[in-house]
Amino acid sequence: MNCADPANRYASAALMQTLPFRPWSSIGKKLLNGLTGLLLMLFIAAHLAGNLTLLVGTDAFNAYAEGLHRLGVIVPLAEIGLTALVAAHVLSAVAVYNDRRAARNVRYTMVASKGGSSKQSVFSRSMIVTGGVLLVFLVLHVWQFRFGPSIAEGYVTLLHGEPVRDLYRLVVETFQNPLWVVFYLGVMVLLGFHLRHGFWSAFQSLGLLAPHTRALAFSAGGVVALVIAAGFLLLPIWLFLSADPRAAAGVVMVVP
Amino acid sequence: MDLEIVDGDLSSGAPEGPVETRWDRHRFDLKLVNPANKRKYTVLVVGTGLAGASAASTLAELGYNVENFCIQDTPRRAHSVAAQGGINAAKNYPNDGDSVWRLFYDTIKGGDFRARESNVYRLAQLSANIIDQCVAQGVPFAREYGGTLANRSFGGAQVSRTFYARGQTGQQLLLGAYSSLMRQVDEGRVRLHARREMLDLVVVDGHAKGIITRNLVTGALERWAGDAVLLCTGGYSTVYYLSTNAVNSNATAAWRCHKRGALFANPCFMQIHPTCIPMQGRTQSKLTLMSESLRNDGRIWVPKQAGDARRPDQIPEDERDYFLERIYPAFGNLVPRDVASRAAKHVCDEGRGVGATGLAVYLDFKDAMARLGHATVEQRYSNLFEMYREITGESPYEVPMQIYPAPHYTMGGLWVDYNLQSTIPGLHVLGEANFSDHGANRLGASALMQGLCDGYFVIPYTLGNYLAGQKPGTVRTDHAAFAATEATVRGGVDKLLAIDGRRTARDFHWDLGRLLWDKVGMSRDPEGIRDTIGKIRSLREEFWQNVRVPGSGDSLNQSLEYAGRVADYLELGELIAIDALHRDESCGCHLRTDHQSAEGEPVRNDGDFSYVAAWEHSGDPGRPRLHRERLAFDNVHLAVRNYK
Amino acid sequence: MTSATNGTRSYTLRIWRQSDNASPGALVEYRVEDIDAQMSFLEMLDHLNDTLERKGELPVAFESDCREGICGMCGIVIDGRPHGPVPNLTTCGLRMREFESGATITIEPFRASAFPLVRDLVVDRSSFDRVMQAGGYVSVNCGQAPEANAMPIGKDVAEAAMDSAACIGCGACVASCPNASASLFVGAKIRQFALLPQGQAERTRRARRMVAVMDQEGFGDCSNHGECEAACPKAISIENIAVLRREYLRTLVRR
Repeated sequence: MNCADPANRYASAALMQTLPFRPWSSIGKKLLNGLTGLLLMLFIAAHLAGNLTLLVGTDAFNAYAEGLHRLGVIVPLAEIGLTALVAAHVLSAVAVYNDRRAARNVRYTMVASKGGSSKQSVFSRSMIVTGGVLLVFLVLHVWQFRFGPSIAEGYVTLLHGEPVRDLYRLVVETFQNPLWVVFYLGVMVLLGFHLRHGFWSAFQSLGLLAPHTRALAFSAGGVVALVIAAGFLLLPIWLFLSADPRAAAGVVMVVP
Repeated sequence: MDLEIVDGDLSSGAPEGPVETRWDRHRFDLKLVNPANKRKYTVLVVGTGLAGASAASTLAELGYNVENFCIQDTPRRAHSVAAQGGINAAKNYPNDGDSVWRLFYDTIKGGDFRARESNVYRLAQLSANIIDQCVAQGVPFAREYGGTLANRSFGGAQVSRTFYARGQTGQQLLLGAYSSLMRQVDEGRVRLHARREMLDLVVVDGHAKGIITRNLVTGALERWAGDAVLLCTGGYSTVYYLSTNAVNSNATAAWRCHKRGALFANPCFMQIHPTCIPMQGRTQSKLTLMSESLRNDGRIWVPKQAGDARRPDQIPEDERDYFLERIYPAFGNLVPRDVASRAAKHVCDEGRGVGATGLAVYLDFKDAMARLGHATVEQRYSNLFEMYREITGESPYEVPMQIYPAPHYTMGGLWVDYNLQSTIPGLHVLGEANFSDHGANRLGASALMQGLCDGYFVIPYTLGNYLAGQKPGTVRTDHAAFAATEATVRGGVDKLLAIDGRRTARDFHWDLGRLLWDKVGMSRDPEGIRDTIGKIRSLREEFWQNVRVPGSGDSLNQSLEYAGRVADYLELGELIAIDALHRDESCGCHLRTDHQSAEGEPVRNDGDFSYVAAWEHSGDPGRPRLHRERLAFDNVHLAVRNYK
Repeated sequence: MTSATNGTRSYTLRIWRQSDNASPGALVEYRVEDIDAQMSFLEMLDHLNDTLERKGELPVAFESDCREGICGMCGIVIDGRPHGPVPNLTTCGLRMREFESGATITIEPFRASAFPLVRDLVVDRSSFDRVMQAGGYVSVNCGQAPEANAMPIGKDVAEAAMDSAACIGCGACVASCPNASASLFVGAKIRQFALLPQGQAERTRRARRMVAVMDQEGFGDCSNHGECEAACPKAISIENIAVLRREYLRTLVRR
């Protein structure tokens, strides 16, 4: 008798009677992606707050940077932690993207959103692209500032009588170059895109939203995206327009 | 009509004695299958609606091997899913005077004394267990604030015994049964075969031992052997073409069993539901039911003047005829389904119907909105009003709804005994596919009750009684009977494909439906029926010469599936007409114009027709043999239904 | 009838034709005339098929059954949207008055790897059944049920469970999802049983098994586009997906 009907594929198998929690299941991946996304957002917010000291002036910014360095062993730990967060976020996102490609082997000729309560948008559909750009940017950004010229290369200034790395100068010099300014501006717009969907989506992925809180989180996502993006956009523009004469003149001022 | 009549050979097999203890005594007398032996038996269950899914899962829980078939892509689509109103049960939670006895009494009376007392009493008795079972499965019935189950009065019942889950009770009950079925598939006790159409029954030495199905995707004919066959394939309202039933609902499996020897009982007992959206035109594929609850607040009327073409809001109050309130002042707009339907037909026949076709009456909520306020009406009926607006483009808040009766449920079906066994041993018939519990008219919210009762609580006992007398697995698919039956089916399929005529199966179905609706519908007269029988015969002859079925039999071919069903309907349609002609009385939904009172009420002839008419196929669809099962009413005394 | 029922309309249809999953498919153009505004979309396709049949051509295979929006069988993608442009409606409820006369309408099947194509607009959604087999039930045998009112369930809880249980299994959530995820379908069943006392005993096993089978069937992961909720004819909320995640996370700590 024909028992090979597809409807019975799992029939009578001792399959999965005692199944563990699987972190890499479709739900697990999203839990991971949402959690890492939220933590990265916290980091970004803190990063922006710190960077705003640029607006105050040389010493304020360099003091902030130096303050971070004085945290000692916490610094490399934080760096490892952040790298792990980014890695987990990226890997889970890429896995979701791969699943998505496999899950629809024939594409539609025509696609349209139904509107209404749909949250689908250019932001939600471009997460993998904006995320990819942000990853490339991240590598460049870390190379540029974390591993960029330091005291040995003459980027040194005195703070309360102590010689410290003159990160302010490096930043200011960088943003004298209009190409860097344009590049940063572009990426920060895409960061806003990423956060527009990513913010509320992270809460939803963690299963934290009910209908009323969903509306709140979705609206808050717009505000968060706007504020973070605006904050990060302000800095290169401000630095470019209020060029520091020291850096512009290319004078290396080493105070003995 | 000259008929070959056979009397005395049909017995329900129900025990005698007090009706209250018949089922208990019978259960004790039924033979049992040893638990260790159950797995040796294979049961073929055809259909996955309330009856089929509940039977398949329950038999599997008992330990039988079950093969389960459905024509849809998944069991969850069976047409039970569309039932809106609710399910009756004699729980008496509202403390309003209900009891098993009252549900029994109401059902017998509602069926106009053409149902079997033993079966109906059992149904009423088991009704309470159904609710328990469904609740345990997680069916989200409506609840009171205190957490207990909510009840409502339905279909004119004078007690609130109807349990419901919004307007989707059938869906929720079906999903409950489906979930139990899925569990048994997972356990490996049920093997599921979707997109299979049963095209014949395999009978070996007089016993049902298998079926032939067509795999609707590959076109392959498949043989299935089993120790018993359960037919749970629903009713045949779509014989009328336009009905409230699903477009794939059909009688093919039941009809082919009939042609293999199963008697077909009371085929002319067909329920017409009064509140459906009227037919719009020739291209319409089905009629949509609007819940009966609308009659609680809506008032039904037509213009007093025939041919009054004014818009409803321009017809003054004194020129309107609220005909149900006028004729039936006690029950008003809440008279039973058949009474309301006939009254609507009557006023339309007088030329007072409304709408584009003149085949509609108004269901008006203007007074309800004035009395209750817009908000209350909206709260009670917004879903239904929205559904109506989507279909017709009109808002019932602004203009009266238009409604008209439509075929909805078939009380007739394959004859079964008290064990739900047909006249072919081993072939059991459950749910709407059998004839057993509703007599000549079904009460609202009783169809779901019967389907689940048969599947959960009757067949698990009675099937064991049959199987205990059978040696398991005696017939295999290499038996000569399988080859012969498969050849018959193949011949039928090839014949349909070879005709290559000029008209589509849908054309024939439409014509058949109109013939039946006009003369064997809500009211029937002998002349009209005779005339229709002749016309159905000609239509059938034309079908076999002039139908066009494109494509081939070796892949998904919906035209071929449909043509086969229409071919069977062209035979069943004639049997319906013959039954309607022979039943020379009015009863329940069967109104013969030559048997009505001066007020147009049906007049029964209990002396001559207090029986179940069970028809045997003789080979010629026009000359069936009549078997009569006499009905005895020891507990509910024969009385005239009166709703005035 | 008072509304615009008369006046016939005509349309150009671009319909996906494909004889089976192994053969290539393509959009084929058809012209339909004499369409009434009151006709349903499926009746319009019936009309086309009658015309094709009379010419001896193979009609377009599409599925439907109850034609009143509850069986979940109909389901096609109309101009890029599952079940067409009107919210909270199945294809069978869609009327031709929603389409301007003369319009070109593109009709495709639901597309997902987990819904292999059978023919033309017909797809195989048995993957949903297999997900249900993994745990979409309460394991109670017939006959074991306690008295129905022995277990009070608050009205609000029952209503919330009913919101989830309203799913008709049509697959529009999968079809509309850019990722072809079945999270809404699975989430709705998980939430129904997570809310009800009957579902508690198997809560952990149900979540783990249903998610595992959902993944094995080849559905995508949910990226919270929320398109499923908009496409769902029963407006089932993506709250069900949030609950699905919560329930899955819960299995990390609860046995």
